Amino acid sequence: MISRIGYVLRETAASFQRNLTLTVAAVITAAVSLLIFGLTLIIQHGFDNLLAQWEGGVEMIVHVNAGAGDAQRAVIEEALVQQEGITIDTWRYCDVTCSLADADRLLAGDPTTRELLTAENITTQYKVVPMDATQVDILRGLRDRYLGLPNVNTVQLAEEQLDLISELQGFVSTYTTGLWIALMAAASLLIWNTIRTAMFARRREIEVMKLVGATDWFIRLPFMLEGLLHGLIGGVLASGALWFINDRWTAGVQGFPDNSGMTALVVVDGYQWQVALIILVFGSIVGTVGSGTAASRFLDV
Amino acid sequence: MIRLENVTKSYSEEVIALRDASFEVAKGEFVFLVGPSGSGKSTLLRLLNRQERPELGAVWVAGRNIVDMPANRVPMLRRNIGNVFQDYKLLLNKTVFENVAFTLEVIGRPKHVITQQVPAVLELVGLAGKEDRFPDQLSGGEQQRVSVARAFVNRPLILIADEPTGNLDPATGEGIMRLLDRINATGTTVVMATHDQRIVDSMRKRVIQLDRGTIVRDQARGVYQ
Ligand SMILES: Nc1ncnc2c1ncn2[C@@H]1O[C@H](COP(=O)(O)OP(=O)(O)O)[C@@H](O)[C@H]1O
Ligand SMILES: [Mg+2]
Repeated sequence: MISRIGYVLRETAASFQRNLTLTVAAVITAAVSLLIFGLTLIIQHGFDNLLAQWEGGVEMIVHVNAGAGDAQRAVIEEALVQQEGITIDTWRYCDVTCSLADADRLLAGDPTTRELLTAENITTQYKVVPMDATQVDILRGLRDRYLGLPNVNTVQLAEEQLDLISELQGFVSTYTTGLWIALMAAASLLIWNTIRTAMFARRREIEVMKLVGATDWFIRLPFMLEGLLHGLIGGVLASGALWFINDRWTAGVQGFPDNSGMTALVVVDGYQWQVALIILVFGSIVGTVGSGTAASRFLDV
Repeated sequence: MIRLENVTKSYSEEVIALRDASFEVAKGEFVFLVGPSGSGKSTLLRLLNRQERPELGAVWVAGRNIVDMPANRVPMLRRNIGNVFQDYKLLLNKTVFENVAFTLEVIGRPKHVITQQVPAVLELVGLAGKEDRFPDQLSGGEQQRVSVARAFVNRPLILIADEPTGNLDPATGEGIMRLLDRINATGTTVVMATHDQRIVDSMRKRVIQLDRGTIVRDQARGVYQ
């Protein structure tokens, strides 16, 4: 067993050196591909944060002044109930706790501003799902009406920010996804080709191994390990680059003006570590599968 | 140990390398396969360790018909069959010791077995003291001895030799033959293909003669022609 492990490690190391140029190309391509894959996930998550308060088909948010009690809010709720089944499908109240949680995500990139918000001064929200989100005129009419009610701070309409952002999100994700898939295909082919070259260089050894009764798995293993390392090293590089980019972006967002609307477009909630892990696992799988298929295919050299 | 039953092997419609071949080899026998180039000797040897599969017939090795043996059993079969080739098939980047040790290493033999068996077999083939040489630092005869050591180090039931003296001068070839005879004397069955008349005539072993894929003679203690 020990001599087998020793054998596998020695062969893998030797193969790495022998194929240095191809190996470097494979690793870099895998790294760039995995980086773009990771960025796609991170950007998606950032956009989700940005749109957090609009989850569930909400098209209008009525902000209520801080400190408004049940009695004061009853007027607003009465106005909402009146429209139920007419222009409003459903609505729900987002209390202090709920609104603070929204702020956590919306102001993730702007901790200074977030710190200014407390249970005492935060506006609470009525989140409204309309009967028909496309009837923008009706929504505008409702907004004007609710703005006139006592204790209403502001009324936000989704179409003013949401539509633009979700379009942007869709646009970005389409192209980054296309990009990483194409690069991942290139990385797989490079790994495949590297393994093929490595096996061709060792065809005499492989011939002898087969003749003396080495199992196919034993012959395959060093090559699969080599492919796994390509993917894993690519993943480590990609994770590092991703951490760096995310860190720089988060720092940059803090310098944006408060009204830029971009303060939520950051990922600081630990999701970036999840993505790093996904990248490492994904890279390893792609490397192992790529080299494994090549090794099986060319075992008869 | 080996039994062929009506074996036919063809590479294409036109090339029928072996035609309806049947014979049996007992444990511990020494058999020469003779015949001109292209008569099917190598093909027959390759059938014995499943490098080739016949279209028709059965190939029994150590009590098993290996024709339809599942692929995952083939390595175990091959561990019982040593191979010696005309061109040695040594690994040029490995020393004598490493070439022989490699065989044991890749079938998972533990280190203490390797450090014990490799020097012993190198001693047997007369290469003691040359463990650390590389193949290109050896004569042809010495290289063939390494190849024999590699084939025998795992104590196989059967040793297959395909023209092992083909690249050697007569005197060196005789040395290899004495070695194969010694290995045969330990109980290992030896099947050797050759078209070297001198060697066959001097050894007086069983001779199976092939002619364009057909067995035309099977003679105990025979001569080449
Ligand atoms: N791999 C192969 N593919 C196609 N034809 C082959 C192959 N190996 C051998 N042959 C043909 O089969 C016949 C027998 O060859 P072989 O077994 O090598 O004979 P020998 O070893 O007696 O010279 C020859 O006609 C040869 O050309
Ligand atoms: Mg031949």
